[in-house]
This record gives sequence, C-alpha cells and structure tokens, in this order.
Amino acid sequence: MKHEADMSVKKISLYVALTLGALVFAYPFVWMAMATFKPELELGGLALVPTHWTLDSYRRVVETVPIGRAFLNSLFVVVCVTTAALVFGSMAAYSLSLLRWRGRDMTFNVILFTMMVPFMVLLIPLYTLVVKFGWTDSYTGLVVPFMMNATAVLILRQSFMTLPRDLLEAARIDGCGDLRMLFTIVWPLSLPALVTAGIIVFIGNWNEVLWPILVVRKETWMTMPQMVALFSVGGGAYGRLGPQLAAAFLLGLPVILAYLVFQKHFISSLASTGLKG
Amino acid sequence: MSRSQLSLVLFLLLHSGCKMDVGHSDSAKRPLLLWTSQNPQERMWAKGLVNAWNRANPGDSVVVQPIPAGQSSEEVLMAAIVAGTTPDICANIWPGIVNDLARAGGVLRLDTLAGFDSLMQSRTPATLRGDFRSPDSAYYQIPWKSNPIMMLYNVRLFRKAGIDSPPRTYSEYLAAAKKITTDLNGDGAYDRWIGYRDIQPIWYQRFFDYYTFYIAASGGKTLFVGDSLAIDTTASNEVFSFFHQLYRANYFPKSKFQGNPFVSQITATDFTGPWNIAWLKANAPSELEFAYAPVPVPDDYEGPVHTYGDYKNIAIFSNTERPATAWRFARYLVSKQADLLLLEKTAQMPIREGLLSDSAFAAFFKSNPGMIPFAAQVPDTRGVEAVSSLPEVLDAVARQFEAASVYGVRSPAEATRRAIKRILVLQDWNS
Amino acid sequence: MSPQEAPSIPRSLSPSRMGPTFWKRSSERRNGILMVAPYALHLGLFFGYPLLFAFVLVFQRWDIVTPMHFVGGKNLVRVFQDDLFVRSVLNTGLFLAIHIPLQIAFALFFAELLNQKLAGRRFFRTIYFLPVVVSGVVVTILFQQLFSFETGYVNAVLTALGGQRVPWLVSPKWAMPSIALMATWKNVGFYVILFLAGLQNIPTSLYEVAYLEGATTWQRWRYVTLPLLNPMMVTVVVLSTIGGFSLFIEPYILTGGGPLDSSLSALLYIYNQAFYFNHMGYAATLGLLFALIIFLVVTLQRRFVETREQ
Repeated sequence: MKHEADMSVKKISLYVALTLGALVFAYPFVWMAMATFKPELELGGLALVPTHWTLDSYRRVVETVPIGRAFLNSLFVVVCVTTAALVFGSMAAYSLSLLRWRGRDMTFNVILFTMMVPFMVLLIPLYTLVVKFGWTDSYTGLVVPFMMNATAVLILRQSFMTLPRDLLEAARIDGCGDLRMLFTIVWPLSLPALVTAGIIVFIGNWNEVLWPILVVRKETWMTMPQMVALFSVGGGAYGRLGPQLAAAFLLGLPVILAYLVFQKHFISSLASTGLKG
Repeated sequence: MSRSQLSLVLFLLLHSGCKMDVGHSDSAKRPLLLWTSQNPQERMWAKGLVNAWNRANPGDSVVVQPIPAGQSSEEVLMAAIVAGTTPDICANIWPGIVNDLARAGGVLRLDTLAGFDSLMQSRTPATLRGDFRSPDSAYYQIPWKSNPIMMLYNVRLFRKAGIDSPPRTYSEYLAAAKKITTDLNGDGAYDRWIGYRDIQPIWYQRFFDYYTFYIAASGGKTLFVGDSLAIDTTASNEVFSFFHQLYRANYFPKSKFQGNPFVSQITATDFTGPWNIAWLKANAPSELEFAYAPVPVPDDYEGPVHTYGDYKNIAIFSNTERPATAWRFARYLVSKQADLLLLEKTAQMPIREGLLSDSAFAAFFKSNPGMIPFAAQVPDTRGVEAVSSLPEVLDAVARQFEAASVYGVRSPAEATRRAIKRILVLQDWNS
Repeated sequence: MSPQEAPSIPRSLSPSRMGPTFWKRSSERRNGILMVAPYALHLGLFFGYPLLFAFVLVFQRWDIVTPMHFVGGKNLVRVFQDDLFVRSVLNTGLFLAIHIPLQIAFALFFAELLNQKLAGRRFFRTIYFLPVVVSGVVVTILFQQLFSFETGYVNAVLTALGGQRVPWLVSPKWAMPSIALMATWKNVGFYVILFLAGLQNIPTSLYEVAYLEGATTWQRWRYVTLPLLNPMMVTVVVLSTIGGFSLFIEPYILTGGGPLDSSLSALLYIYNQAFYFNHMGYAATLGLLFALIIFLVVTLQRRFVETREQ
C-alpha cells in the first residue's frame, strides 16, 4: 500500500512540475495575445484579461506600416525558398545516396563542412555580391541566396537511404530514368521526410530577419519579421508597447498555427536527425 | 522539375533586373522623384508645392515620396547610391554626410550651375554660407532649413513651482529641477521629472544633449577645426558634469517612456527644435502651455547663446536624367513662397536671411510669436564638420556620455579625455 | 541503354553491394553529377566565392560606395587595438556561460519528466517546443515588455509578492543575464526533444540491472544515464554554443548593445562596424577572426565533454 501511495505522490509531483513548465512556456504567449487587446494604460498591470477589449493597438500597427504587404512578401519568399530547397535538395540527396559516382563522398563532406561555417563570415561578402547583382529591394535577393539548404539535403539523404532497393531496381529495369525516378517514385515514398525538411526550411526562412534587414530598404519589399523588428526599434510605434506587441503577435501567429498543425512531423524527425548529428 | 517550377525560376531570374519603382522603367519622360523625410507636416508641405508645380509644368511632373525606412536616413541614402535606386532630388540631407555622398559620386555639383551664386547671396545668411562648402571647395547641397535646438518648457508646471522665467544657467536649471521633480502619488519614487533623454548610446541622440550644450557652452565652437580635433575641454567637462548632476539626483529618469512624456506632463522640459511645434499642437491637450527659450549655459558664460542647427539641405543626385529640370525644381523648393509655406505648415526655419525683417513673413510672425525665438536663433547656429565617419566620432562621445553622465562611472574630465583619445584613434584608422 | 551493357566500373563500386544490375549504367555518373550540379553551383557562387572574398576583404578598406583601397595588415593591427571588440567577445562569452548550463539543466530536467510514463506527454512536449518555432523578433518584443523596469510584468509580479523591482535591461549588471534568461526560455524546448531522444535510446535493461544491484536513483542517474547520454550531451553543447555565438537580434532590439556596452554581442558589434559605419574590410576581418574563435571553442568543448565509448 505504501508503495502505491509513493507512486501516486510521485505522479502528482511530476504532473505539477510538468504543468508549471507548461505555464512558464505558454503563459507569456497567452499574456501577449491578451495584451494586444488591452488599452495602453493596462499593459503594466497584472490582470490577464482586459477590462475593456480594444483593437486600438492593431489599428495603430496597420495605420503605420504596411504589415499586410509584409506578410505577403514573407509568404511568397518562403514558398519559393522552400520549393527550391526541396526540389534541388532532393536532387542532390538522390545523387548523394542512391547513385554512385567518383567524388560523391567528398562532395557530401564538403556540404557537411558548409554547415559548420557561421553565416556571419559570409554576411558581408554575400551582401556585396547581392548588391553588385542589383538584387537589393527585390524578391530575387531574398530568395536566391537561400534556395539551397544543407539541412534539407541531410534529412532527405538520410530518408532516401532507407528506401527499399528492390522497388527502385524494378523501376530501373522498366527503363525509368533518374529524374523521373526521383519525382514519381522516391518522392511519394519519402513524404514524411519531405514534410519535415519542408517545415524546417519554411520556419527557418520565415523567421530570418538579419538578411532582409541588410538587403531590403524599401517598405514595399520588407518581410514580416523585418517590418516588425524595425517597427519596434525604429520608433514607428512612438515607444508605445501596445502596437509593438500587436505587431509581434501578428508575426508569430502564422507560425504558431502551422506548428500546431504539423508538430507531429516536426518533433519526431527532429529527434532522429539530432541523434545522427 | 515540372514546367511550372521551371517557369517560376525563369520568372525570378528575369525580374532580377527589373525594379518596380518609379526610377527605372523605360516609359518616356517619367516624372522626377523627390524624397522628403517621413515627418507628416513636411510631406504635406512637399505635396502642396509639388501639386502646384505639376499644374504649372505639366510636361515636367514631379512625384514625391517619403524616404524609405531604415536605421537612419543617412544609411538609406548611401545604400540607394550603391544600389542605383536614388531619387532625382532629396530634401532631407544632413550636411554631415554630404561629403560621403559626393565622394561616392552620388550627388551633383551645384555651384557651377546658373543661378547658384545669386541664390546663396540672396537667401543664405552670411555667417553660415561657408559651413556648407565641401573640402574640395565645391557645393553639393542647397542650404534649406534649420531646426535650432532650444529648450521647450511647460509654462504652467514652472509657474506652479514658483518659477516665472525660464532657467538660463546650469544652476538655475538645477534649482528648477529640484522644485519640479516630485513624487506625485507617494509611492517613494518620482513620477514627474524636469526632463528626459534617451540614454541609449545612439550617436544622433547626442545632438539633443551633449552636442547642443557643448556648442552653447563653448560659445559657438564645434568639435573640429578643419580636419583636426579641437575640443574645448572646459566646455566638454562642464556639459558632462551638468548632465551627471541631473542623473545622479534622479532629476532625469533612466527608463524608456511610452509615448511622449512632455505631452503627458510627466516631464517639464525637452531639448528640441521647432519641428515639434506642429506635433504638439496636434497631440497635446489644450491645457498644456508651452514656450521656448535658449538652452541653459554654464553660470559664468557671457554672450549670445549658440546652439546646434540641425540643418537639413537639398541635394540633386547624379543619376538624374534631367538635371536642368531638377535644378529648376530645387530652386523652386527654396523660393520665398516655399519658405513661407514651410513656416506655416511645418513650423521649421528656412535658412533664410532676414526672416524677421522681411515683409513677406511679417504676417506669419505676427500670428505666431512663439516662432520668433527660433528665427532669432538661426544665425547663431552651428552645424557639424564634414570629417570622415562622423557618426563614429559622435558614437565615441555617446559612449562617454553614457558612462560619465548617465551612469557616473567616471569623471567628466576623464570622459572628455577618453573621447578625445578614441576620436584620434578613429581618425587614424579612417585616414 | 540496356542494363546488360557493362561499362568499366571503378574498383570501389562493388556490384554485390547494391544488387547485380543497379550500378551497371554509365549514365550513373552523368546523372549523379548533373543532379547535384544545381546545389554545387549555388554553393560555389553563394558560399565559396563569398568565403574567398572575405579573405580578400581582410586586407582592404571599403565602404562599398567608393573603390576598394589596399591597406595591408592595417585591419589586423586594428583588431588588437580595438578594446570594444574584445569586450563584445567577452560579453558573448558571459552570455554563453550563463545560457548553456541553464539550458542543459532545464532541458535535462524536463526531458526526464517527459520520459516518465505519463498521460498527456505529447501535449506537454508540444507546449515546451512552442517558443522554439516562434521568431526571435516576437520573443524579444514580448520580453521587452516583461522585463521593462517601470511597467514590466515581471517586476509587477515581484512587487506584488513584496520584492523589489529589478533593473533587468537598464543595468549594466543585469542586461546580459536577462538576455541569457530569455534565450534559455526560447530554446530549451529544442534541447528537451534532443535529450528525450537520447534518454529513450538507453535500454531499460541497464536500469533494471542497476536497480537490482542496489543503486539509488541518484547513482543510477550518474552511472547509467549520464555516460550513455554523452553523445547527445556533446551535440547539445556544440549546437547551443554555435547558436549562442550568433546572438544578434535580441540585443539589437532590446538594448542596442548597452547599457555601457554590457550587452554588445560580437555579431552586433560586427554588424555596427559594417552597416552603421561602413567599414566593410574591418568587419570582414572581425567576422573571420570570430569564426576562428568559435571553431576553437567548439573543438575544446568536444575534447572536454566527450568521453570515449566504454
């Protein structure tokens, strides 16, 4: 009997700890959501729910900066980047896992090496290159440097290596070329990996803020995180925290929603990638 | 790759050369592009003038846009030159970067254009003309407007504290601070302060404290003479010390405020220029009585009070396809009518000789006596020197201001010494 | 090309590995290279070239607008005279010194919790991971309010509980630790997942054996869990470190590097040099030097943290 009592005390304390943790991680977001509907004066208070719901903060954001346009910019850029990363990444992954050719392993090692070089080393020369090409203030400058993603290649290669060879051989005997093989046979079989790689690229690129700050100056081309960051730092909000929080919330909302829908894929494959790393 | 993906890639590659802004399309006689600051009143002023111009010059129409957002308009302009996305004319040029713009070949030389000399003679005060010349003796900017930094104060709060005239010296200001800084709700912390400054060491913020007060305390000197550093160390120490006393006694708070504290009557003074007047009129409650006076000076100072002029000038960019038209339009922007409109719409000071004596402006100053102090101050303003990397120089000063005045971790004299040392090192690095 | 044709196959490729007919194609090599070509070309242009150019920039003075100007080793000499850069590196070090142990401790703690057989684990896991996916901009603006001295939520809670207000972001002593706290909050979830995967890979049989031999919970943890978790621990430490070195957007938004340069991270300083003051050559020099520092730190970490397999 004592043993059972110990077990349930243990269980309760575990749940308490877990719940406290959940509160710590989730409450700030809940608070932020509520705060965006509070009138300016109440922002410093302890109350969670506004006494008086107002869209004032959102109104100020929309009036001051073209946040809708920024959202569309981000969306367009991220979709382009993700598509390119998946298409070209899977081509590279296919080549590096299912084909054999001289120099293959060396190429793969070079790709691994590139993941280790910190972005800041490349930042300035890459910026000058983009300027020289005339890609500032355009979608090209935002998309092209990110069209290839080493993480995606890693994930896809890992997944391709686990495919059943007999199936591929059978297709090969039927005269299927490599490109066709990749997109008609390998892709359908690798959907979880594609989704995982896609999500990682999607969210990573959506949140990317340093590069747009460098490459884009005109408001019409700014991405959403950039616009929100500059809105906060650049004084567009006149120091008022309400609109800053509203802008931040608008920025975070799409990702939070996408995450809640796809989290299964994300978390499980992340764990297996981490093990190999 | 599917066909639609291929065409998407091609689409992207093809559009890398095209920009969707006014500057680079191939249609015939595209309009001239004017950039102004983001200030709403200036935009209104520009729009009014541009509309009138377009009606009178249908074949040479002009389009006006606010300068794109960025950390500072200086940075945006340099980036535009690099990317080739400059406008034709910009009316928001800070003199401190004109030489960088000129060295980059981004702006047009103006003193060789017809009408430049007569414009300077008739409009620009004699004391200021030389300030806008570049090191190669050419002019790349038209002096346009000045915002002399003066002390804005809340008349009612001062009167309530028993002070009828604005403080003129450091001691008077500190005495006023002692009376006005109070704890209103009895929670042990002050709720109203004499003034407020942004304490982050951002270089351009120092124009509204250190640099202005330094010009005033030194009797109109700037940091450099020509290319060499020539700081009046006495003045510099006095300025650091003055602000240190304010922060040590907590007469100036160290926090960030939501919105404007002067308008909410949380602070009783501010150091700002006349551009603020229009904003105050629009946003301040009607019971807020405010007035302007020259900034305080050290107790032993004698003579007229100088201040920072915060000039903004007009430049024409070399990329322009129609320089003659652009020059004509630029002259239009500094005509008497335009200057009067500037006063009326934005409450900012044109750099024009004889504002208070010219009959064209008499009516304006009669109905806006609050602007007279600014007009009187214009000749006694100073700007910045065109040394290389001026923001970095001011950044060195800003760091010392933060250390000595705000946080009190070193003495004013030590702060001045360190600022000098770092500036000399910077000059050596950047030579 | 029919699979029956047998082109010359290099010795390294043994047909017995992959099935008899799979490799007998000369198009193999062509396709292999062609399919990786887009990636390789992109790599060459957007990685290789900038990397080489960075080395060139070390010896130049350049503000992008005016032509480059060869200055020999002046940039390198300047680094040694630049006490502000040293300060920024030390600041980043301080950040890591607070952030990484905190992160490992909390990540392990929550991973252990989630490793227990409890209902609703998925739900908690989802919540813990939430801050990771959200943009750093969002988290920073949120914490700007939470940590605000006068009107912040955290100080409001503290004073309600009878404590004193803490100058989180306005004190030179507290600024960087505040940022470290925020970064830990944001990233812990990621490492919880990694540790959880590592924990779940430990065979329960080992725990049973230890239990039967009379080991206490603490001893089981110390002698079974920790050693077997070591590879994952190395991964976590290395990833945290590399991530921590790229600290930029948080001080950029929250403090601008202050007060008194206490929260100036190395990357923020490099950014200011390049894009505020237009010293491209010097910034490139700093960037390369900093990358070298990161490499050294990570190598040292692996040497100290990694234990050899028993």
